Amino acid sequence: MAADPKMRFLVVDDFSTMRRIVRNLLKELGFTNVDEAEDGAIALQKLQAGGFEFVVTDWNMPNMDGLTLLQTIRSTPNLKHLPVLMITAEAKKENIIAAAQAGASGYIVKPFTAGTLSEKLTKIFEKMGKA
Amino acid sequence: MSDFSGMEDLLQDFLQEAHDLLSDVDNKLVDLEKTPDDRGLLNDIFRGFHTIKGGAGFLNATELVTLCHLTENLFDRLRNAELALSPELMDIIMAATQGVRDMFGELSQSVQPQSADPQVIGALQGALNGEVQAPVVLPVATMVDVPPNVPAAASTGAAGEPDWEMLHSAVSGAPASSSEVSSRSVPDLAEEPVVAPAAEQAGTALAAQPASPYGRRGGDRPAASTAAARRTEDRGRENTIRVDTARLDQVLNLSGEIGLTKNRLTSLRADILAGKNDPETLHALDQAVSQLDLLVSDLQNSVMKTRMQPIGRLFQKYPRIARDLARQLGKDVELVLAGEETEVDKTMIEDLADPLIHLIRNAVDHGVEMPNERQLSGKTVKSLVRLEARQEGDHIVLIIADDGRGMSAERIRAKAVEKGLISEEEANTLDERQSLNLIFLPGFSTKTQISDVSGRGVGMDVVKTNIQKLNGSIEIRSEPGKGSVFIISLPLTLAILPVLLVLLGDQPFALPLSLVREILPIEQSRIQEVGGKETLVVRGEVLPVISLARLLGWPLKKYPEYGVFMQTAERSFILGVDSFAGRDDAVIKSLEDFRPKGVAGVTTLSNGQIVLILDMKELLADIGQHPEVGSLRSLEFA
Repeated sequence: MAADPKMRFLVVDDFSTMRRIVRNLLKELGFTNVDEAEDGAIALQKLQAGGFEFVVTDWNMPNMDGLTLLQTIRSTPNLKHLPVLMITAEAKKENIIAAAQAGASGYIVKPFTAGTLSEKLTKIFEKMGKA
Repeated sequence: MSDFSGMEDLLQDFLQEAHDLLSDVDNKLVDLEKTPDDRGLLNDIFRGFHTIKGGAGFLNATELVTLCHLTENLFDRLRNAELALSPELMDIIMAATQGVRDMFGELSQSVQPQSADPQVIGALQGALNGEVQAPVVLPVATMVDVPPNVPAAASTGAAGEPDWEMLHSAVSGAPASSSEVSSRSVPDLAEEPVVAPAAEQAGTALAAQPASPYGRRGGDRPAASTAAARRTEDRGRENTIRVDTARLDQVLNLSGEIGLTKNRLTSLRADILAGKNDPETLHALDQAVSQLDLLVSDLQNSVMKTRMQPIGRLFQKYPRIARDLARQLGKDVELVLAGEETEVDKTMIEDLADPLIHLIRNAVDHGVEMPNERQLSGKTVKSLVRLEARQEGDHIVLIIADDGRGMSAERIRAKAVEKGLISEEEANTLDERQSLNLIFLPGFSTKTQISDVSGRGVGMDVVKTNIQKLNGSIEIRSEPGKGSVFIISLPLTLAILPVLLVLLGDQPFALPLSLVREILPIEQSRIQEVGGKETLVVRGEVLPVISLARLLGWPLKKYPEYGVFMQTAERSFILGVDSFAGRDDAVIKSLEDFRPKGVAGVTTLSNGQIVLILDMKELLADIGQHPEVGSLRSLEFA
């Protein structure tokens, strides 16, 4: 993967076990610079503070869900370039469509392995490279 | 053999978090019964199952995923008002929740859960399919505004690699033309959801069955797996604890400070050993020691706090238990919680779980009347059971109160005599409070018919024993017709035992302060002999006087000057001692290999003296058979 291993990730999920899983998977892929947020609202605060290069977010969360977070990121000038990978246990078409419409960079369904995550990330990095 | 080797940590984390989530869901379900249309609640419950499902997927707990998925789908329909909540549906949901809980039990044994009760699965699927009125229009339309070309692509329905790129470009209007979209593989979406096929299956024969029998407790499941059975017997304690990082930081900070103070002391010691003893050095020593004193007690407090957990985590489970039981008995009961934020030592929370369940069941089963009976006596049909926690000084007080029929001291006495637990004469000497306390005797149960709920007669004495193991006490107040109140009083922590130091000659002994009610001087002239025993009348109560020296097998050199009015589970009495040395917070050190009878442990006083902490219950055990053991009669004055 051509991506910088120092790339700073923000993992957003209300379930701390899940944040740990994602963090571990990212670590397996060589990304160790990972911060966490419990919901969309907290994530947004952290993102506003700056320094993040990649967002991995769950969909279903209290306070602010992942879709709203994504929409907010896309409509905020200094954040809208951020790649956002949506993670959810939902494999319904309409959800994926909604994510795509809101401008998600990728979509991944739980449960997944480091391999799948790597594949999705690579695709996003490739696209970023082209842009 | 563990099904989770390499994933134990993950499993632990998952279980702890998922347990909390499920308890929360349980409570929301109880609320939902009151306000079935509350979308916020429906959403929260949906999210609960969804999150558990997500985590379970990573553990490959397929059966758990299936169950959560079906339940989650049901809540999706409910929150979109495509289904209405009926009591039957509620029963199915409750059964599913119990199923999830049972699976947690299996997981906690590191065993992959067996499939859920097929009846529950069938009922869920039935509810999802059979009972839905019109075939639901693809929810797509209701959720997002789909560009026209996408459904065309999706509807071809061939299985294949999900093609995010295609979909993305289709909806974002980027390159890829619409014809390309429909010709290429279909966004049948992502990594095949494990359960979709099961969920999508049309109504089965099971679905046609009436729904109500699926309710109730998971224990009733005919095909309970061995793992589930094992779980009820020896479910391990949680051996991890979640601590607010701020509290840990405080501990770290304090230990750092103590390190600095220790350095200061080391250097002062060197000075003093070198012969330096000017006022300045001594003053510095004094300061350093005082500081250390302060820091250590702060550290003790902070460490203790890391063990403290809000009792709400325990309370959470109870509304659901009360609700289920009330429905089973045909009663209408609401369990009201208060003081959930009260913090209690974690080990204590675990040990309180069973006694509290018992008391709540007792309140619902025995305390509260049937609705018609309540109406006849002019009460509201719905009865309230209140579960409250609060901190009072260095004690935690738990209150379980019901507004039911109350307890009659008369009836309890009669029952105890009938059961041969006490004699007629004994019964006659008991006052109201003592009579109520009879229900704590082993083998006491006022319900003639044994119910599977709380009438086994093994309950209340176990409750009392468990509370006493925690150095706590339990008290009953009851007013016939108005209701009963159980008041449990517990020390803040088990690590420190408040003791009363008494003296025999100049030998100190420590008595647990929780047993001490008061201290009084013993005037020999006021000692009365009743039935051959020395007694003292304290405010109308006739109490036996027992000499500590005698209990310990020491010769009685002089008449005890002071009496300690003590109350243990079995009895109240006055313990005769020579004098007092004050009270102390003892840190109990147990005597690992050597445990003399009647000694609970040892502690060290500030002057370095070692003191035995007495176990009154053990010391008194002999007295039942040999009342003369503690007697003052055969005084041997030296």
